[in-house]
Amino acid sequence: MKITASAALLAGAAIATLGLGPARADELRMSWWGGDSRHVATQAALKACGDKHGHTVKGEFTGFDGYLEKLTTQMAGGTEADIVQVNWPWLPLFSRDGTGFADLRQLPGIDLGQWSDADLDAGSMKGVLQGIPVSNTGRVFFFNTTTFERAGVPVPTSWDELLAATPKVKAALGDDYYTFNAVKETAQLLVTLFVTQKTGKGLVDPETNQVAWTPEELAEGIDFLGKLVETGAIKSQKQEASEGNVNLFEKPQWAEGEIAGSYEWDSTWSKYADPLKEGQKLEPVPMLTVEGAVTDGAYRKPSMVFSISKNSKHQEAAARIVNCLLNEPEGIDALGDSRGLPASKVAAARLEGRIDPEIVKANAIVMAASGPVISPFNEHTEVRGNFIDTLEEYAYGQIDAMDAAEQIIDGTNDVLAEYE
Amino acid sequence: MKSQRALGLAYLTPYVVGLLVFTMIPFVASLYLSFTKYDLMSAPKWVGFDNFVKLFTRDRTFWKSLNVTLLYVFLTVPLKLAFALFIAAILNYRLRFINFFRTAFYVPSILGGSIAIAVLWRYIFASEGLANMALDLVGLGPVDWFGDPGNALFTITLLRCWQFGSAMVIFLAALQSIDKSLYEAARIDGASQTRIFFAITLPLLTPVIFFNLIMQMVQAFQEFNGPYIITQGGPLKATYLLPLYIYEEAFKKFNMGYASAIAWVLFVIITVLTLVAFWSSKKWVYYAGDKRS
Repeated sequence: MKITASAALLAGAAIATLGLGPARADELRMSWWGGDSRHVATQAALKACGDKHGHTVKGEFTGFDGYLEKLTTQMAGGTEADIVQVNWPWLPLFSRDGTGFADLRQLPGIDLGQWSDADLDAGSMKGVLQGIPVSNTGRVFFFNTTTFERAGVPVPTSWDELLAATPKVKAALGDDYYTFNAVKETAQLLVTLFVTQKTGKGLVDPETNQVAWTPEELAEGIDFLGKLVETGAIKSQKQEASEGNVNLFEKPQWAEGEIAGSYEWDSTWSKYADPLKEGQKLEPVPMLTVEGAVTDGAYRKPSMVFSISKNSKHQEAAARIVNCLLNEPEGIDALGDSRGLPASKVAAARLEGRIDPEIVKANAIVMAASGPVISPFNEHTEVRGNFIDTLEEYAYGQIDAMDAAEQIIDGTNDVLAEYE
Repeated sequence: MKSQRALGLAYLTPYVVGLLVFTMIPFVASLYLSFTKYDLMSAPKWVGFDNFVKLFTRDRTFWKSLNVTLLYVFLTVPLKLAFALFIAAILNYRLRFINFFRTAFYVPSILGGSIAIAVLWRYIFASEGLANMALDLVGLGPVDWFGDPGNALFTITLLRCWQFGSAMVIFLAALQSIDKSLYEAARIDGASQTRIFFAITLPLLTPVIFFNLIMQMVQAFQEFNGPYIITQGGPLKATYLLPLYIYEEAFKKFNMGYASAIAWVLFVIITVLTLVAFWSSKKWVYYAGDKRS
């Protein structure tokens, strides 16, 4: 018996030495942000994928606030997790020249055929695949159809209809009613939408790496925002500040249906629908367009990517875990729609019929709409900060639309110049 | 004797190590970084005085933020000290339930710096919040606490003043240590309460006023939570204090070198104002037994 056991041990050692045995068990780390449901789903997925591939994956998770600061500090010290969830607009911050993370095309184990070329391009920096898009998201119009029904006005399908509906809603229900909402980044994206619809161009021209719009084109978009305030469709920035800059979904006016629409991420439908009082219905609707629009101006992008640390000692194991999370049944089932509708084709097919139909509908609207490719610089901290601050100056009457447009374009070009 | 010395050093070691590792090294490192361009992702690049030149010659946000910060400090510190002294003087009387009142007035200081209180403040001073409801009850019109750039800083100042407890406790202790025979002598001489306060209480409190002044000034220059949570520095950067600017440059825009330069300018301002306070203290602070007095 002793001889048999010793022989088995020796044989095992020999096989292991030759690399013929089962994969070596590595201890990996993965970091992400999210809410409770995402944390639970991801931990379950990591357990399932870890068991399947013979590795242990330790989760490091927080809420969104502070995640960027934590990740930045870790990246600076080279101590980031092996697998990192990265917000798509952060890719230029961490991997300006495509060397911030491991090149995912060089790692075996990830079935890249499950993503479209556009998705893979979106996750690349200077042509190097730095992150795998987990899901795609975009801004979509949500309307409280109950409010419009109560006012006897059809739900708007164009900006002109929205502007025409506003006085009717106010006349029927009261001056405290607003047909729409646009503050901070939503205001920025609304101006972006207007100009994109008019010109067919996104904020940044990828060819020249400069702002694609002329000051006149942008000024028209800013004036449009002003018109929404003047007509009473949305609250002014001053009103929003007076009320304490409360998030839309936390406002009693939203819950009561007194604010009847907004332009939000498709995946956030539940966040906005859940606070509504009983009997109110929130529906995603097709893109509102301006007269003479050359495109729907859809603002869609990968919501986040999974990257692998270039400092990881277990890059191949990490690649297998990433593939399992996104392409294999164990990972797909456990993750579900905790990160929105999956970008991976096999995951999308497997989850069909299991996701909230309103989220599916909202996502379908975003994906069906036309629009230029969105540059991650749209959400660069300095670009966004300059855009929002300038809109605030315009809203408070400090500058006119033309000066505001020039200020936004100059500020954005200054940032873009640093990345040339 | 030797073993006692070793024990003393052993007790000191954790503090000294903590001070060196978590305060002195970052302190010196930030001075070095202030002369560099550093985005955390690549090695710091020496740029000499570029950050400071940009700060003083081209950065409108810095000047706006500095003005707002100085205004905030010059509003907050005197208001808070006056209020703390006023409450301490009342709580120095032998009233019924005095211990309850002393505790109650101290509580805001424990809660005041918290995120929850900052959020609460946002609701109280919102356009339809408690503050405007109260004004409405007494027939006064609503005030635009946050929407009007002229009012927003004052609203943030109120939050800081509300946390007067720690200064109040120090004042209260100082008031109780004043020799009662001085008051008796003054009363026998026919001095009024006002005269007693200005001729006896206030001069004897000046060392404590001086201490509170320095502490409150340093804290006010470092205020972050209130404006960050309540107004996010707005509207129109009316509450954009320098610590907010440093935070955004460092952790949102990854301009660590530039943020370090702003932090050092803030440090120099605090140091200069503290030195001015120390210099001026020779003229107005009274130390019992001091040869100068």
